[in-house]
Amino acid sequence: ETNKSVEPAQPTAGMQSLKSARFLQVRNEAINYPEGIKSPNPALNVTSKSRGRCYDKDFLLQFQEVFREKPSVDWDQKLKETVGDSTDSARPQSAR
Amino acid sequence: ANGSSDKPSTSSTANGDSDVRTVFDDPENFNVKHPLMNNWTLWFTKPPSGKGDNWAELLKEVISFDSVEEFWGIYNNITATSELAQKSDYHLFKKGVRPEWEDAQNKHGGKWAFQFKDKKAINIDALWLHVMLAAIGENLEDEDDNEVMGVVVNVRRGFYRIGLWTRTVGRSLPGEQGKGKTVEQSKETLMKLGRRFKAALQLKENDPVEFSGHTDSAHAGSTRAKAKFSV
Repeated sequence: ETNKSVEPAQPTAGMQSLKSARFLQVRNEAINYPEGIKSPNPALNVTSKSRGRCYDKDFLLQFQEVFREKPSVDWDQKLKETVGDSTDSARPQSAR
Repeated sequence: ANGSSDKPSTSSTANGDSDVRTVFDDPENFNVKHPLMNNWTLWFTKPPSGKGDNWAELLKEVISFDSVEEFWGIYNNITATSELAQKSDYHLFKKGVRPEWEDAQNKHGGKWAFQFKDKKAINIDALWLHVMLAAIGENLEDEDDNEVMGVVVNVRRGFYRIGLWTRTVGRSLPGEQGKGKTVEQSKETLMKLGRRFKAALQLKENDPVEFSGHTDSAHAGSTRAKAKFSV
């Protein structure tokens, strides 16, 4: 079960894109989102200090079905160590 | 490795033929991401095993992130709140702040909170998501308010509770007196946060969201003035 010769999993294209992508300058770049995708509400970013980094709920929700990559190849293991796997957490606690 | 960076970049932004590719253009091969105003850390409190484990060991840092895309990658691959065991918590806090009232940045603060007592009547996953989006999208505070520390959801036997932790209890901190805000302004900022938090939870007008200072709850019965508001 603990076979150490297993090849390490390779990051997916989506994981690599996330890592190498640069931050948009939301206020200074005209972004042409594909048709049907709403831009961030400009009213949220009118002041100088917001740096274009305020986003309304409707804008953010558009990403929900679009980006579903795990944060890293070892995510399942990491999740198990922190949150516990779902079978663990779903198990009702016995009151002893 | 795929040589896409060698492609001549025709910068004709007008017709969408630019070299800027968002996740909406190509979720596998995008080259820009949406920055968040703050770096955020997601924490998780494990339910106690009943073997005398102390709370600090149960509080685990899960991951930090600073882009919209990263947030969704995490959210889409983590246990839903509705599937957590009792006595679990998720905490989403600004990076560098531990989600404990003892943290130096929390010890003068407090929280707005609402308890959902009828667990079956609500969609806790949607509510917690909307509160997280309000936090990372910076819809809860205005620039310079410097009040939001983080948001939290508690899973308990009889209820779910969602909270918003603030840096102050609506008055200036020791050593910060006279730095800009009057007492009235500090309190008004805190009340504004409460109203926006309530709006993010889509609560009815007559469902009160209540504020309490951390030290008030830690030393119940102390004689210090209680900061207790509701919106």
